[in-house]
Amino acid sequence: MSKVLLMGQSNVGKSVLFNRLAGARATVSNYPGTTVDFDKGRMRIEGQDVEIVDIPGSFSLEPKDRAEEVAVKMLEETKGATVVCVIDSSKVERGLYLALEIIEKRHSVIIALNMADVAKDANINVDAERLEEILGVPVVPMVATRGEGLKELVSRIREAVPVEIEGIIKNVGGKSGTSSHS
Amino acid sequence: MWEVKVERALTADERWDLVDKITKEVVKVGAYKPGLRDALASLTVNPWTGIPFAIAVLYGFWTFFGEFAGLFTDGFFVRIFGTHWIPWLSGALEGLPDWLFTILVGDRAVFAEDFVGDPCFAAGGVLTTGLFMPFAVVLWAVIALFLVLAILEDTGYLPRLAVLVDTVLHKIGLHGFAIVPTLVSLGCNVPGVTATRLLETRKQRFMMIALLGVFVPCGAQIGMMEELIPGLIGWVFLTLAIGYLGFGWVLNKIWPGESPEILMDVPPYRAPQWSNILRKTWSRTRHFLMVAVPFVLLGCAIVMVLYATGAMDTIASGLEGFLAAVFGVPADATASLVVGFLRKDLAIGLLPIDAMTNYQVFISVILLTIYFPCLATFAMLLRELNWKEILATLGFLIVTIFVFGGILHLIGLAGGWY
Amino acid sequence: MEKKLSEMDYEEEGTIKGIEKGFREKVAGMGIREGKEVKMMTKQPIKGPVVVEVGRSNTSLGMGLAAKILVEVKR
Repeated sequence: MSKVLLMGQSNVGKSVLFNRLAGARATVSNYPGTTVDFDKGRMRIEGQDVEIVDIPGSFSLEPKDRAEEVAVKMLEETKGATVVCVIDSSKVERGLYLALEIIEKRHSVIIALNMADVAKDANINVDAERLEEILGVPVVPMVATRGEGLKELVSRIREAVPVEIEGIIKNVGGKSGTSSHS
Repeated sequence: MWEVKVERALTADERWDLVDKITKEVVKVGAYKPGLRDALASLTVNPWTGIPFAIAVLYGFWTFFGEFAGLFTDGFFVRIFGTHWIPWLSGALEGLPDWLFTILVGDRAVFAEDFVGDPCFAAGGVLTTGLFMPFAVVLWAVIALFLVLAILEDTGYLPRLAVLVDTVLHKIGLHGFAIVPTLVSLGCNVPGVTATRLLETRKQRFMMIALLGVFVPCGAQIGMMEELIPGLIGWVFLTLAIGYLGFGWVLNKIWPGESPEILMDVPPYRAPQWSNILRKTWSRTRHFLMVAVPFVLLGCAIVMVLYATGAMDTIASGLEGFLAAVFGVPADATASLVVGFLRKDLAIGLLPIDAMTNYQVFISVILLTIYFPCLATFAMLLRELNWKEILATLGFLIVTIFVFGGILHLIGLAGGWY
Repeated sequence: MEKKLSEMDYEEEGTIKGIEKGFREKVAGMGIREGKEVKMMTKQPIKGPVVVEVGRSNTSLGMGLAAKILVEVKR
């Protein structure tokens, strides 16, 4: 594994997760030719030292501002990296939109279903196992602020694989574009 | 499966269709009764309740800022420097030749028996005031600021504040987030310039850097104002705010470029994560220490070289008549105004306040704030702007000093306050 | 009744009917799309930005951007 990219929309607890993973050794870098800053650090995965990059928050891969443009560029430039896609459990819908976009680009993805506590408070229940079945990529529920789920996330990072979007469409029973549902 | 492995991109509608199908199977939403957090969330962004709340927050911020900085500066460093470090240093280096003593320690007159004033501020040498200013005064103001800023960010209040101020700031071509570089600059303009990076377009960044270089006083200056002219601070800030908005409005009209509207996620309130806040505060403070402090020391050295060589007197007397005519400040104050080109904070301390009327003090303090950014800020400005923008900033500075200073002079004359 | 998002009143609710092309893709990731319910959370005075709630998320938009979104308002 060459690199781990942390991607997600704004306000999903991405920077807290980054701090947990990269610890104190993180440094701020500046994306060449821009004024957009991002954090970079190193983490250990199964005894191996791996670079981890905190990509600027982005709502979709259709950039609406400079920071999002950089996020998209950084994702494009690092083929072969593993993408940890961070989703706010209380806002799964829009988080999945970004996750699917990344999956469509055939990156190896693992989903961090963060802020499970917030979702619980809001009486929102997310079936992580079923989501994992549908997507075909690891889905780890977690509360990054308290460090919950952190170990599982790290231990499953290697399970991240590229998957076919067609497979996901089949798993929810239908062809894309039709409205059939079992 | 023998499907060909290719990238298959969905259209936005197909993707949403798929998202809807997935969430239907995976997400169960139960009944939810909005609580205190939600009520607070909407009250603080609603103008009628949000603006008073914002004022309260900023006032609390201001108080904390003053207390925190005061605790370290007055409670600790003034004593360390004033009663131990500076007297010891002046004794130890007494044997040095005059010029070197002046540069390293400061004006010998400060150490005379009959000197009235605080040698921490007045000495001016690289190893005395030069160390005192960045480490004893500005550093603590900057840390207090970064700390509060990180708390505002991590609780989710900052986006709401940005929405509230966007109403006014977008009118002058800026963005609600311009509140961040503005607040940071109240601690130190150097990280303030860096903070403009979160603004979207070149135009907004240029405008913001020009405005904060001119109209936003830094922690060191504010500290000096509180010390020397506590009664006038309110008027100084009001005048600067008017200048910020007025000249911002003009800049927006004449400088080409785009000012996109706000489009931003407003997150719910959250309890802040202390380790995250401390990490952010530290990483910003470290950046400040590495970038700003060397320039403060250099600024001190240059001023003291000018003093030691007598160049300062020559420049000051050359500008005396000119400054008196345009701004109505007495001849005694010109030396301070000249120093202000290099060390704005120090310059306020050099004003002969007792010999001036209130209005003269007021206009001198305003002038010291609005003209030339300190050396460290200027260096940042060179780094962040292109040459065209640098020239424009300098032009803006000169025009602003004369127009704004001239207007205040005329107002003072009309009011008979001189 | 249909109106622009920028014309909605405080606390008014409705369903998003259409979003101007070009802007549509930009807000898609924020969960703002046709068919979603929208509620006006706050309006700032003197044409300041609005804050709307769509699918449990609050988003702030400038007036010009809000005018690119068409809403069927609840009676």
